[in-house]
Amino acid sequence: MKKIKTVAVIAIFAIAITACSNSDSESTTDGSDAATKSVVESGITVEGSWARNSPMDATVGAAYMDITSSTDDTLVGASVDESVAMMTEVHETTTQADGSMGMQEIKSLDLKAGVKTELKPGGYHIMLMNLAKPLVVGETILVTLTFGSGATQVVEVPVLEEAP
Amino acid sequence: MFVVLNKSQVSRRTLFIFSALLLASCSTTASQTVGFIRDEPLDVSRVFIDEQTNSMQTKPFNTVAPAGELLVLFFGYTNCPDLCPTTLADIRAALARIGDDSKKVSVAFVTVDPERDTAERMTSYLASFVDRFHVLRTTDVNQLELAKEAFLAASAIRKNADGSVEVSHSATTYIIDEAGLVIDEIPFGVGADGFENDLRIFLKMIQ
Repeated sequence: MKKIKTVAVIAIFAIAITACSNSDSESTTDGSDAATKSVVESGITVEGSWARNSPMDATVGAAYMDITSSTDDTLVGASVDESVAMMTEVHETTTQADGSMGMQEIKSLDLKAGVKTELKPGGYHIMLMNLAKPLVVGETILVTLTFGSGATQVVEVPVLEEAP
Repeated sequence: MFVVLNKSQVSRRTLFIFSALLLASCSTTASQTVGFIRDEPLDVSRVFIDEQTNSMQTKPFNTVAPAGELLVLFFGYTNCPDLCPTTLADIRAALARIGDDSKKVSVAFVTVDPERDTAERMTSYLASFVDRFHVLRTTDVNQLELAKEAFLAASAIRKNADGSVEVSHSATTYIIDEAGLVIDEIPFGVGADGFENDLRIFLKMIQ
């Protein structure tokens, strides 16, 4: 009985392979919508900001948000108070030649007039380094964005477990 | 196009899973995975990576799921601000949605940065995300390389002159069955929805 079962399963497998093409990889992305909190100053709108709460013992954190500028501009920096983290940089997650993913600092992020630039997981993010203490759900951190135009904007960033 | 199979290496159950999935992929109403399923699954049944246990002892861990369960494996590091916490948080959310069946899933995290990732750090880091986890940390470069090769994964560490460290690593999540075969390779960015989708499909198959 066992032998027949084995043969049957192998037969099904053989039929399946010859009958069907490969299952192609299908990737879907998280479709969560951004929150509607927006801050409008100097023609710059920031929406859907959030920072992920820290896993225990994490020394780094990431903040995400959608930025839209009414004019062509660039995001050239971000900062937080040292009671949050010692250093802050704008980073981009990229795919390397060997297929691995890494990050690099972005000194200047283009903001095309009227186009929403997303800082989201797997892409651009504001990296908070040497966290003074873990980011906890329920708290709000203040992130100051600096733009090439000279404008600055303080964004209230809630700490959440997942994107709003 | 036939594949020659060595029966001693591939369990009947795994064959059945693949048959079902491949046949199902012909049907427009069948469940589709967000992850990638190979015709010839990666065989990681002979991969051993040092595990740091609860009592902080080191013992070799074989990357094979316990009978009747799934093993979810990811290469990363705890100083990772974006990819790793996002993936682990998505897995956490997916397991919460799945409920009871999530007891059949354990997560193995392989550090690609063993120098900075101590066992203690990794333990509390992973405990933030899942209940059942394996801290896989080896300082043996060869052991880590062999593991990466088996999973077709890559990682690199670059230390800059200013003391900063840049780490890159494959961000694929691997689902492994009890035969030590990678039955699903989930790319980064599928969200909790994606993980829930695929885990439900495979949990149903191993019932």
